[in-house]
This record gives sequence, C-alpha cells and structure tokens, in this order.
Amino acid sequence: MRFSPAFVLRRAASTCALLSLPLLLGGWLSGPQSTFDVKGPVAREQLNVFYVTVWVTMIIFVIVAGVLAYATIKFRARGPIDKNTPVPDQGHGNPFVELGLIGASIAALVFIAVPTLKAIWYTYDVPEEQRASAYEVTARGLQWWFQFEYPAEQIENSGQLVTGNELVIPAGRPVRINLRTSDVIHSFWVPKLGGKVDMMPNRGNHLWLQADEPGYFWGQCAEYCGESHAVMRFRVIALGAEDFAAWVENQKKPARTVVPATDAPKAAFASYDMTPKKRNAPGYTPEFDADPMAAWTALQFPDKDEDASLVEKGRALFKEKNCITCHSIRGHEGIGVNAPDLTHFGSRSTIAAGLLENSKSNLHRWIVDPNGVKPGNKMYMGVNGMAGYMEMDPATKTMTGKAHIAVNDTEARAMVEYLHSLK
Amino acid sequence: MATATYTPAAYTAPDAAKGAARPWFFTRPAAKTGLVSWLTTVDHKKIGLLYAVTALFFFLVGGVEALLIRIQLAVPNNTFISHQLYNELFTMHATTMIFLAVMPLSAAFFNYMMPLQIGARDVAFPRLNGFAFWVFMAGAIVLNVGWFTRAGAPDVGWFGYAPLTSTAYSNQFAGDSSTDLWVMGLQILGVSSVIGSLNFIVTIINMRAPGLTMMRLPVFTWMTLFTAFLIILSFPAITIALVELMMDRSFGTSFFEVARGGLPILWQHLFWIFGHPEVYILILPAMGIISEILPTFSRKPLFGYPIVVFSGAVIGFLGFGVWSHHMFTTGLGTMATAAFSLATMAIAVPTGVKIFNWVGTLWGGQITTRTPMMFALGFIWMFMMGGFSGVMHSAAPADAQQQDSYFVVAHFHYVLIGGSIFALLAGIHYWFPLVFGRIVSEFWGKLSFWVIFVGFNVTFFPMHFLGLNGMPRRTAVYDGNMGWNSANLTATIGAFILAIGIGTYFSVIVYTYFKGKKATGDVWDARTLEWSVPTTPPPEHNFHITPTVHARDAYWYEKTHAKEIEAEKAKHAQEEESHGGIHMPSQSWFPLVTATGMLIGGLFFAHHNFIGAIAGGCVMLLGVIGWAFEGPGGYHLHIAKDGTVTGGEGQDHH
Repeated sequence: MRFSPAFVLRRAASTCALLSLPLLLGGWLSGPQSTFDVKGPVAREQLNVFYVTVWVTMIIFVIVAGVLAYATIKFRARGPIDKNTPVPDQGHGNPFVELGLIGASIAALVFIAVPTLKAIWYTYDVPEEQRASAYEVTARGLQWWFQFEYPAEQIENSGQLVTGNELVIPAGRPVRINLRTSDVIHSFWVPKLGGKVDMMPNRGNHLWLQADEPGYFWGQCAEYCGESHAVMRFRVIALGAEDFAAWVENQKKPARTVVPATDAPKAAFASYDMTPKKRNAPGYTPEFDADPMAAWTALQFPDKDEDASLVEKGRALFKEKNCITCHSIRGHEGIGVNAPDLTHFGSRSTIAAGLLENSKSNLHRWIVDPNGVKPGNKMYMGVNGMAGYMEMDPATKTMTGKAHIAVNDTEARAMVEYLHSLK
Repeated sequence: MATATYTPAAYTAPDAAKGAARPWFFTRPAAKTGLVSWLTTVDHKKIGLLYAVTALFFFLVGGVEALLIRIQLAVPNNTFISHQLYNELFTMHATTMIFLAVMPLSAAFFNYMMPLQIGARDVAFPRLNGFAFWVFMAGAIVLNVGWFTRAGAPDVGWFGYAPLTSTAYSNQFAGDSSTDLWVMGLQILGVSSVIGSLNFIVTIINMRAPGLTMMRLPVFTWMTLFTAFLIILSFPAITIALVELMMDRSFGTSFFEVARGGLPILWQHLFWIFGHPEVYILILPAMGIISEILPTFSRKPLFGYPIVVFSGAVIGFLGFGVWSHHMFTTGLGTMATAAFSLATMAIAVPTGVKIFNWVGTLWGGQITTRTPMMFALGFIWMFMMGGFSGVMHSAAPADAQQQDSYFVVAHFHYVLIGGSIFALLAGIHYWFPLVFGRIVSEFWGKLSFWVIFVGFNVTFFPMHFLGLNGMPRRTAVYDGNMGWNSANLTATIGAFILAIGIGTYFSVIVYTYFKGKKATGDVWDARTLEWSVPTTPPPEHNFHITPTVHARDAYWYEKTHAKEIEAEKAKHAQEEESHGGIHMPSQSWFPLVTATGMLIGGLFFAHHNFIGAIAGGCVMLLGVIGWAFEGPGGYHLHIAKDGTVTGGEGQDHH
C-alpha cells in the first residue's frame, strides 16, 4: 500500500503544490479562511485529495490542450479556401483511438477515486482509535448567528454550558461537532480546520475536526440562509489542555458582578472614540488582525478602568430596555433563549456574529443602531413573535415604523460598560 | 422577411361554399407581415426568432444584474446596494440566465434549425409550438413582475432551499409574494419546456426527410432530441417539488414545513434530480452547435460521429444518477457520498470523449478561423477548464471545502459562459447569414470574441482562488482582512471588460441586421441540410422540394453529387405536385389566448387571489375550446419549374 501509485502521486502532488502554488499566488491563497493553510488533520486530508485532483487534471489538460493547440496551428488552411480547393480526407474517425482514450480517461479517474474513497470514510467521523479522547460539542445555527453547546459541561440548575458565536475547543484533540439548526439550513465551515457540513432542520448531522495547535480560526455560514447570510460568521478558538480547562471553569461560573465603589463615579461617560464609521470601514483594527489570539486572551480578564457605577446603571438599563426577554445572563436578570447567551459576553472577541471586533465603540454602535450594522437582524426586527427594536404588524409582516426599543448615546455607554464587565 | 410571392387567400371561402360559415372568431388569421403575423405565427422560424429576441433581452437583463453584483463586491464592506437587494439580484441573475436566457436561446436554435436540418417544412404540431413560446413569455413575466411590486423580486436563491421558502422565513419582513411568483413562474416555464420538447421529439422521430436515418442525423439535431428527453424526464421532478411548495404556502400543507414534521432535504433531492439534468439541458445544445461548426470550418466530417452521439446519450443517462453531488455537505453518509462521487467521475468520461473527438475533427482538416470558429475553439478551451474543475468537485472530500464557495461559482461560469454562452454566440454568427441573409463583419466579430474571451477569464479565473481562500458565495459583503480584496476587484474589472465585449457583440449583430454585408446561400461551404434552402432567409415552406438524404453530411453529399441530386429533385418535384403541392399550416390566435389565461391565472394565484386564478383558468379554457373548434386550417403551395411559388387557390382542409 505504501508505494501504491495513488500514494506516490499524492505525496508528489502535495510536495510540488506546497512549493509552487503559494509562491505563485501567495497573496490570493493565504487569508484567514484559506483552505491551503490547513491547521488540522481533516482539512489536510481534504487538501491532499484536492491536490490529487489538481495534478491529474493538470496533466490531462497539458496533454489535451497541447494537442488542441498543435492541431489548430498545424492544420490551419494555407491561403484562401473556396469551393474548388481540394478537400482534406473525409475520414469519420478511428475506433482504436477512441477506445484508447476512453481507457486512459478511466485510468486517470481511478487515480482520483482511490484517495477520494479513503478520505470520505476518514473525514466522516472521528477515527475509531481516537474516539475515546474526542471532545463533543453541539453547534446550532440560527438566523443569523451560531450557538455552541457543551453537553460535557453541565452547570448546576442551568443545564449545559452555552455560548454564542465563538466556539472554544481543546487543541490536539478530535472534536466531534453535532450540527443542529433552529430555523433554516445553515452550514458550519472553518476552512483551516475542515470542510463544511450543513445544519439541516429535522436531521442530526455532525462533523469532526481537530486543531493541531492552539489558535484563532475564522468560520462562516456557507449555506444561503436569508437576508444577513453574508454576515453570519463565527470563530473557533483552540486552547491548550490547561487553558481550555481554565476557560471552561470560568464559563461555568455565573455572570460576574462588579461591586460598586462607595465613592463617587470616576467618570460620567466612558471614554472611547465614537467618530462615525467610514463607509467600507473594516470590522477589525489592524492591531487585532496582527494577533487575534492575543486580542482574545486579553479579553479574558476584567478591564482595569471599569466604572462600577456605570456598570450598575447598564445592568438596570439591560432590564429596562427588555433585552432580558431574549438574552440570558446567567446569575443576573437575563432569562431569554431567543438570542445569544451573554453571561460571559465581555470575554468574546467579536460581536454581531463575528461581524465586528468587540470594541467599546463597535458595541455602542451595535446597541444604538443594530440595523445599520447588520441589516435585517432579529434584535432589530423581532424574533419568534416578539418585537425587537421595531414593532412589526404580524398580519402584513411589515414594519409599523414605531420603535419598541430605543437606546440613546448615554444609555448605550452604560450598557457597553456593563456588557464588557461580563468576563 | 418572407420573400415568396404567393398571396394567401381568405380561408373562410371553402366553408362558405359548403354553406357552413364559421363565426369570425373561428377563422384563421392570414397576415404574413406586421404585428398580427407575429402574434399568431405557427412558422417554426418566426417562433425561433421570437425565442431568440426574448432570450437575448433577458440575457442583457441578467447581465445587468450580474454587473450590479460585481460593483457591490468590488470593495470590502460595500454599501452600494443593500443585503436584501443583493439577495434578490443573485437569485434573479441565476433564474434569468438559466430559464430565460440560455434555455430559450437553445430553444430558438432548436426551433429554427432542427426542422431545416431534418428537411422538414415545420414541426409536428405548429400551433403547439407557438403555444410553447407564449407560455414561456407568461412564465418570464410572472418571474420578473416582482421587481415592480412592494414585496420585491424573489430572494430565495435559484435553488430555493426549503425551509427558507416557507411562509415563516421568506421575505419575512415584508409582504410576501415574491416567493409565490417564483414558484408560479417556474411552473409555467416548465409547462412551456415540456410542450416544446414533446413537439421536438415527435418532429425528429417522424418528420425526417426520406433517407435521413437516425445515424445520419446532424449532431445538433441529436442533441436537440437528447435535450428534449432530458426536459420531459426531469421537469416533472421540479414540478412536483414546486406544487408541494405551492401547497405548503397557499393551503397550509406540510411537505417542507419543519414545525409540522416536513423534510427540507426532500426538496433538495427533488430539486437536484431536476437540477442536474438541467445542467446538461444547458450544455448539450451547445455541444451540438460546436459539433456543427467544427466540421464546417475544418472541411471534414465530425470525428467519431457515433461516439459523439452515444456519449451525448450516456451523459444524458448518467445525468440522472449524479444529482446528490450537489448535496455532498448535507450529511448523506459515507456510502451515498462514495456512490455519487464515483458516478460523477464516470460522467467525465463521455464528456472527455466529446472533447477528444472535437480535437480529432480539427486534426487533418483545413481550418479557417472565421468568427464562429473562434467562438467554437474558445468553447473547447473554456469548457475543458470548467470540466476539470468539475472533476475536482467530484472528489467529495475536496468538495467539502469547495461547496458553496466561489470555487463553485468559477466552475459553473466556466461551463455556462465558457461553455453554453460561447457556443450560442458561435451559433448566432454561424447561422446569421442563413437567417437574415447578411453576414457579420469579420473584424468586429473577432474583436468582440477577444474582448469577451479576455473579460470572461479576468472575471472568473480569480474566483477559483477566492473560493479556495474561503470566500462563500451569495454574500453581499466581505470584510477587508480576508485576503479577498484584490481578487474581487480584478473580477469586477473583468466583468466590465466582459460587458464591453458583449455590448460590442450585440451592437455589431444589430448593425449587421440593418446594414450588414449581404450574403446569400451557402456562405461557409457547410455540410448539413439547413444550408440547402432555396433562398436565405429561407421561404416559409423551407424547401421547394423535400430533400432526399444519401449520407451523413447530407448537403455536402448534395454538393459533391450535384448531377445525380438534380435529376432526383426533378422527379420528386413532380411527385410532390401530383400529391397536391406543399401543405402549409394556418396561423392561429388561440395559442396566445390560452397562454394569456395562464399568465392571468398565475399572477392571481401567486397573490393568493383564487377568484382571479379561476378567471385566468377560464380564459385558458376558452383558448383551448377555440383551439379545438377553429378548424384544422391549412393550405397548399405550388412550386413552378422556375422556382416561383403560387398558392391559395382551391383551399382545402384535411
């Protein structure tokens, strides 16, 4: 088996491709969702199959295109042709050539078929011998965000640990992800770790993947799921065993409560820049992009400058503005299940389903003008019959134009402070 | 455009003589020019032109939609158009290009060329042929009318995956008729396609000229036959799915309603068991056109004719066994994934065989690179690339990364533009002198080819990299830190080059129609019967004398055996005259009336106004009754020895 043609070809293919393609078009294949810059065994297996297909088809292409180009040039009519020019041989073909080419095509396909079949079985589920060490989580798609559930992490009186839009997994361990959806079809795709599998209603799908090393990975919904499909994104953060255990331990705790200081508040307003976003502005700062893992890690610890009285005001507003009917904040007032669980919101690096960096100014904008940030989102439009920021006429499904929730700048600053205190 | 000199008589005369005057609305219209002649036509050539003009109009509409999409994606986080509008645009771009541009443009060639290629005077059911066109128009209107309503155009994607199409999720924040219009429009278009296809099948089986055995059929006619069979076998699947969806939306059934236990995966199976043959419905006619052009411009018969025909049949057959490769990521399980993976690889063999045979056709020929040949050669190159990326998709584990990414977008545009569209553009150039008696300028034709070729590749080649770099399709915005910026900008620039090329192409075509160089007769030294018509454009009755076929490239044989053919034709002319002359079908209003009923009914039904829908059904029924009772019509033409045509005397009805 070791020296089977498919094996040799596959090794040769991956070696050559690894050397040539990234050099050739490195800029176009090295993004955070590159399927070439693989970081786990599942994505690697899929990439190897891809290389086999690339090289087999490239070789055929070079041969056929070469003959085609040669024939086009060699058999060009010399000089003008009219009805009196002697005609070429009116041959109708050659059965031996035909059969030979059919045979060669089938042989070429066998080269692709063998590694394909092996990879179909390998990528389908965690290999038998690793199953004992696999970690299991559930990913649930909703219009337009992801919920992640940890059946292995049960919390007293609250059931399993639930987070939103950022899936934290242990590195170096197979992770089996059960795929569920609460509304339409979505698709779970983290290109660097593995290909996508759809979340189908009334059907239990799954996939598995493994991150070789700790890291921060970009993912995105890959099945069209309605208005905001383009901005239904998520992250996967792989942590070493100890870090992962520490993260789980912290996540299982109820929401953090900041004890108000006895003396006067430090500042009436949190101090962050609210200059309006430029058209086409990116969702992330260059500093964040430079080292997203570091940015994520920094968010795990409470902010040194947090203003306890402002946090308290924000917590009250969170209740007053009805946020609690959809959002859960375990240990605080929130009890809703229609929207992402925000118990440890401050420790997440993204908001609005991976759309924006979780900075204070971004969060402020998201709270004040959700529809401007993410058009059509359900926090603004309402969900499951409940009004969002706007009231909707249930009969005609049109907006009445009446605001149900309105947050002004001052209120937003308090709410930002509160949400960011939830580490 | 008819050049014949006969004068059609009033068709009521014979009935009056019999003393049974038909009421005016049962008399058949006889206008040969003007609006009425087009509205009531049963001439396969006029119907072909109606299809062509409509298809080209929608091709431009779909192109504008594509340009808006590319402008939006030119830069990251663009705010040029809203997400909602973007979703409507990509849904309608695909629906328009597939159902309203490529399919009807193929139908235009089927209509115009196939009867000429088999030496027939018309299709088997001329009124039904007109009906198929008017039903197509009704469907096109229903699909597009959403742009002018408050609900907007359909926004569920061209494969409308349940449950996004259910009342709970589609257009959930606006009055929701767009999805109903999409459902109804596609059903009406399906009616049109199936009717047209049955007509073509009957025509090809029954109306071939004497001596034209099946294995002498021109390859384009063979591909027409295969496409027609694919249509009548695959459209029932989507019709079932659409009717079920319509029931869900209009009457509260639960085929796809998740909350009531419906199965969205069922929609995908039904859709793709139509949808994959549909891919071949789009490409087989293109392969047929290429198989006509390459031999003509190589002055050589098609290499391996039986294999090309047989591989067309194999593609059509296997096309029904690979649908789940569109669903590799839906959790089919290992065994089904493996089976569909292998079946998909298998389909590459007959497709590859066709390419080998086209190259074989060039080999040893005398190749003249006139404009149609340029497009045909461009087709082979681009289709090869699309085919190879198709093979990459067939490997299911690799496809897990490619599915729903821009890699797929690149793949199917290579097959559909580089394949279908290139071939259709080649066909327009190739048959333009036959249809209009004018020839497109070589310089402008070739210039438009090169601009289209360059623009196409600049647009779609970078998309392979976008997909491999993780960009999902159907996304209105992307962020600037994903490494997708320069490739997207390149693609947008390419799209505008492509638009300039297409614009040039059509400007030149329109110019040539009015002012182009006149070209009559067999301008390309062609090989098949359509070029043996007595005049270009062909007369309404196509052939003065029904041709007799002696060999595969029938017209080439006629040209190389002129004396023998002349004697034979003189004999056949006498025989035909002794049988009463050339029998021609009469025109009719009722195909249009019946289709109008479907339009009215469809529009009302989509808005859940069932009284209006019944009214539309009544109009349709009236049309059918009129159709049945207007009488068979028909008249005879007589060709004199010098080629002048007389007709109209002694009208008779059989």
